Order: sequence, then structure tokens, then C-alpha cells
Amino acid sequence: MMVPEGILCSKTHEYLLEENDLYTIGLTDYAVEQLGDIVFVELPEIGTEFAKGEVFATVESVKAASEIYMPVGGKIVEINEKIVESPEVLNESPYENGWLVKVESSTAQEDSGDLLDYDDYKEEL
Amino acid sequence: MAKRTKLYDEHLKLGAKIVEFAGWEMPVQYSGIIDEHNNVRNNAGLFDVSHMGEFFVSGKDALKLLQKLVPQNIEKLTDGKAVYCQLPNENGGLIDDLIIYRLKNEEYLVIVNASGIEKDYEWFKQNADGFDVKIEDKSDEYSLLALQGPKAKKIIAKLGISEDEQPKFFHIKYAKLNGADILLARTGYTGEDGFEILTKNENIVELWNLILEKGAEFGVKPIGLGARDTLRLEAALPLYGNDLNEETTPVESGLSWFIPKDKDADYNGKAKIIEQLKNGVKKHLIGFKMTDRAIPRHEYELYIHGEKAGIVTSGGFAPTLNENIGLGYIEEELPPGSEIQVMVRNKLYNAKIVKTPFVEKKSKKMDNI
Repeated sequence: MMVPEGILCSKTHEYLLEENDLYTIGLTDYAVEQLGDIVFVELPEIGTEFAKGEVFATVESVKAASEIYMPVGGKIVEINEKIVESPEVLNESPYENGWLVKVESSTAQEDSGDLLDYDDYKEEL
Repeated sequence: MAKRTKLYDEHLKLGAKIVEFAGWEMPVQYSGIIDEHNNVRNNAGLFDVSHMGEFFVSGKDALKLLQKLVPQNIEKLTDGKAVYCQLPNENGGLIDDLIIYRLKNEEYLVIVNASGIEKDYEWFKQNADGFDVKIEDKSDEYSLLALQGPKAKKIIAKLGISEDEQPKFFHIKYAKLNGADILLARTGYTGEDGFEILTKNENIVELWNLILEKGAEFGVKPIGLGARDTLRLEAALPLYGNDLNEETTPVESGLSWFIPKDKDADYNGKAKIIEQLKNGVKKHLIGFKMTDRAIPRHEYELYIHGEKAGIVTSGGFAPTLNENIGLGYIEEELPPGSEIQVMVRNKLYNAKIVKTPFVEKKSKKMDNI
């Protein structure tokens, strides 16, 4: 599993990756491993704004439904349609193909204060 | 502290993910729930179900006690035969569901849910007041395996018990496997053909590994509680605590088919159960499939024409069907094909009532007694 350089992780197992002022949000490899077979993903509509910590998506494994929280506040500008059709992509490729949404965020700097880099996140598990 | 079965270390070696269930640390999955589920439908799967309870009921009044405890007519059981039963309280609500096996005259094996071991045992004893009967809870001495799937009979044959010698559906027999004394029953909780194997704790680790080794050529895999739940849901087999509880009678639970109308002996809850069989009930257990994209879960609300009308008792993704299905109670009698709705995260999604089981059972129909 290739973990992208520079991701930040929340204690609720979302990751945040910044690229050219756009923030990609997904679930860490640890999270999808723990969830097991993912069979359903519900994503927000493009244009919706969420504050840090708000529920913006739901991911369901065979066993249970899990709410997914915004690691930083922002506006949804892109959603990953592919995982709605094929939720198993989240298990197979949480970083490359299985990301959830991309957001614009003007508060990312102050909101990401409590996020951990990948090594520290793994250590906290 | 949660209890562990004698196979706990074997589960860890096989890479199982462990969860707590009914006070036990049990494997929920090994390779993945969907993979394990499909393997049971297509080949065979081995389950550690040692958390379940075993009572041995024997003596002159053993039959009389069992007749008082369950609606089924235990008098009709012959040696080596089994029957699926419910354990009603005086009001007909269910304390547990269980399987009673007649081993021989005046000697019965009762397999109960893990969550029911203590309360069922107390209930059995309470009901046995003045009876000449011995009730032994041997749950801590015995381990239980389930080997389920179309290849199960071939694996048991390979282990030395030929298909001709194997017990028929809902039968049990004494046998030897790898030199160990076992009780081999043709029962299970998956809707597939298969066996349950009861043996003393000291034999179980060797037997478990032997079945995985000799069964490898038939594609056997270890299966966790996750797939056990999806398999039983597709077969519409009720789960005590979800679909059955003390507030619900067996008639309301869609189990009328299992209840004889002609049993003379009195049993707990009989008046209520017979009255309901005759006059019908207000709530009904139904099976449904989602027609909108959403997954129904335990305790989500059911609606008819936008009005709250019941509750989901079991629900989830059905790997064999690649659909989302559920069992639940509604307060109206509606035929298959009727549209209902499920409330999922504050939104209503459409579903339709369907006939159960959701997946055709491969195991044969059991005799009604």
C-alpha cells in the first residue's frame, strides 16, 4: 500500500491531502481494514458546505454504518462517483482511487492543528 | 471478562478479527465476510460455535419437562431426531430459541444460544420442580463446530463417515472422528446442507485443524460470525435478540408453521399461542428487499404510505443476491409485492415485501412435529 506523502490523519480515521489548494478527503488504510468489506457509500452534493467535525458522508460495511467527519471545514467541489458505483474500491485503494471528496477550504490551516502526520497517527493506534 | 473458546489461539493464527459477542471473544471474520459467505454457498465453511450452550436432559420425566417447555410435540421425536423449538414464557413471549435432539429414550440434548445459557438453565430448573429429571449444563465441557455448505458431506466422508452413514437432515448420531467421540448432527444456521459436531473440549483443536486440512481439497475455509449472520439472514432464519425476544410470541415471529395445533400436553404460553393461531395477530414478521439504494439495519423504522408501521429487526447487504434485505415487524398484514418504506438517516427509502427465505434453502425441509 502506497501512502501518499504529506497526508494528515484525524483520530476518527479520515485523511486530508492538499494539492494546489484543493483538499482530498478519504479514509485511512487502517480505517478501511477495520471496516471490512465496504458495500455502500453515501456522499454529499457538490456545493454543500460543512464545518470541521460535521458528518458529510456515510460508509457502510457488511456489519454496520459509519459516519464520516470533515477533518477541516470547507465546500465540496468534487465527489468520487466511482466509489458510489463500486464501494469495494475503498478497500482496494483507499488513497489512489478510493478517495471520498475534494473540498475548497479557507480554514484548513487553523482546522488542521489537531491532525497527525501518518507516522504519528499509526503510533497512536 | 469475556470468555474464550478453546479455539481462540487457532483463530488468531488464522488472522481472525476478534469481536465480543454475548460475552465471548469470537472471530467475526478471517478473509472477509463476503468471501467467507460465498465460500459457504459454493464450497464449505467451518465455524467455531463453541459459545453456544449444551444441556443434557435425562430421566423418567425428561420428556414431560420438555413437553412443558416448548410448543413442539417432543413426544413425536424418535431416537436420533431433532426439532427446532421456541422457549416461551407464560405469556408466549420467547425466552430463547433452541434445538432439541433426542439421543435415546429419556435422554435429550438441547442446544441453546450463548446469551441464553444462564437464564434458560434457571428456567428449565424452575419448571422441573417436582419432576424426576436431571438437567446438566455441560456448556463448559463441550465445544461445537459447524461445517456448512454443499461440500460438507464430502469432507465428513473423507474423514471416515461415509455419506450413507451420515445422519439425515435434522438427525443426530454418535460417531467417531479421528478417534474422538462426537455427536454428529445434520443441522445448521446457513440454509445450506451441513453438520454440527459436538465433542469434549480436549478434542476440539485437533478436530478443527484436521477438518481444515482434509477439507482443503474441497475448498473449506474458516468462517466468522459476520458471514454467519449474512448467511442466516438470506435464509431468513431468526436471530434471538434481534428477531425474537420476550415481547414477541412465536406466532408473531412468523414461526406458526413450526407450532403443532394438536399437541395435547400443556406448555408455557399455550393459551396465548393457540388463541393467536386461531384469531391471528396484530404484528407480523415480514421479509423485504430495498428497491432504493440504502441498507436497512436493526431497529430502523418501517413505514407504510408515510406512516410509521413497524421496525426492522435484522437487515443488511446480502452477498448472494447483491441486494439489501431485511426482516422486520409491521402492524398490518400485507402480501408479497407490497411497497413499504424504511427510514434511513432521516430519509424514507422504498422497499418491497418479498417471500422468505430470500435465498432458496439447500437443506431439506424439516419434518413438522
